[in-house]
Order: sequence, then C-alpha cells, then structure tokens
Amino acid sequence: MPPRKKQNKRAKVRPKKKKSSELDSVLDQVSDSTVADAKEELQTLLADAKGNSATFYQQNAQKLEERLILVSKGELDQDDFNFFVENQKRAAQIFIDSQPPQEQERAEKLTIHLLEVAATKIVPVLIAAAL
Amino acid sequence: MNSKHTIVRNTFFYAVALALASCATVSKPGSDVTLENLRAFEISFVDQFAVPGKRFDAAAFDAKVAQGNAIFQDAINNEKFSARKPVLRDLAGQFKAEAAHLRKKASTGKVTKALATEMKRDINDNFDNATAKKAE
Repeated sequence: MPPRKKQNKRAKVRPKKKKSSELDSVLDQVSDSTVADAKEELQTLLADAKGNSATFYQQNAQKLEERLILVSKGELDQDDFNFFVENQKRAAQIFIDSQPPQEQERAEKLTIHLLEVAATKIVPVLIAAAL
Repeated sequence: MNSKHTIVRNTFFYAVALALASCATVSKPGSDVTLENLRAFEISFVDQFAVPGKRFDAAAFDAKVAQGNAIFQDAINNEKFSARKPVLRDLAGQFKAEAAHLRKKASTGKVTKALATEMKRDINDNFDNATAKKAE
C-alpha cells in the first residue's frame, strides 16, 4: 500500500487571497498622482459592477476592463476606445431606462459614469504611459 | 434479429431528428432570419475592411457601405410589426457609426487586430440583444 500523502489541513481551510486582476497591475504602473482619485474611483466602480448580481453590470465592466488592457498594450487608441465607449453607453442607456426609477441613479453610476471616468481620466494616462 | 432491430430503431430516430430539425428551420420567424442575414453582412464587412496593413480601397468601401445601408433599409421597410422597426433602426444607426469609424481608421492605416475583434464583439452583442428583445 503506497504511503499516504501528508495533507496540509491548514492550507485547505485558509481562504484564498483575492487575485489582483490584469487591469490592477496595469493601473499600478500608472504613477501619475493627479489621477490617483480617478484610479481609485474606477477600481471601486468596477468592483461594484462586477460584484453586482445583474449580468448587464458584470458584462459591461468586463468589456471595459478588457478594453482598458488593450489600450495599455497599444492595441486600441483613444479614438477606438471612445467609439467603443459610445457603443457601451448606448446599450447602458437602454438598460438604465428598463430599471425601476429608484435604481436608475445607481445604474447610471455603475455604467455610464464608469465608462466616462475610464474614457476621460484613465485612458489618456494609459496612452501616455504606453508611449 | 437483434441487429435488424437496432437498424430499424436507429433509422426511426434519425428520421425523427431530421423532421425536428427541418421543423425548426421552417418555423424560424422571418424577421430572425433577416437579423441573422444583417449580422452576417456586418461581420463580413468588418472582416473585409478591418484588416491591419491592408491598402484602403475607398470605392470598394463606399460601395459596401451603400449596400449595407440599402440592406438595413429594406429590412426596416419589410418589417411587418411596427414595434420591431425601432430595433432595426438602432442596428442601422450602429452600422453607420461603425462604418464611419472604420473608414477613419482604415483610410489612415490605423486598423489593429484588436479593433476588428472588438468591433465584431459589439456587433454580436447588439444582434444578440436585438434578438432577445424580439423574443420579449
């Protein structure tokens, strides 16, 4: 009979450390202190959107995050990003309109506002850093 | 005896599957078929012109855009349910916006692989949403 593998019980019960996303690593490289608030706002809104139970928020945030990474790699420019943000905003507006009135302000914040923060405050810095 | 029975049974299942598949094709609503045609056209448009490094052919581009606009207009005109027309108008507007962006990028040689991929991603999402909206 083969010897039993020694199991590390402590490691089993220890909660997994939250993985930092690829976007977090990209944003960590942005050292411009003038966008520190925008960076924090973006990360908070993205986390809220991705943690929301509604699929629309999650998908919108996921798409935005992936496109920010493409910008940081120089694969999309500001013009492309703005074009895609307009597409996302159009879809977001339809989603917001479908929400009950008391939910609309939050829906707007987690979609359109999030997209605008990314397009106007984060993308220019990512492009400057990539140059 | 047993193998004969298996053949008969398999033939029966095959016939039922074939009948169901043909029913599904026949019963697909006409406007869904139109949406799928529009989607296929738009994807092929991106595949044709959003190619990194490809020389921009303005005449071919404009001809394809005109063809696209005509196809969308036909779809709007032929839609029997007036409530569905706004969905098609939205899609037509998105095609125009996409063509304008692609023209700007392709004519200045600034098309990237990521641009093409993301454009197609949005097209598919838009059509998926439109199809879902029609089912409501």
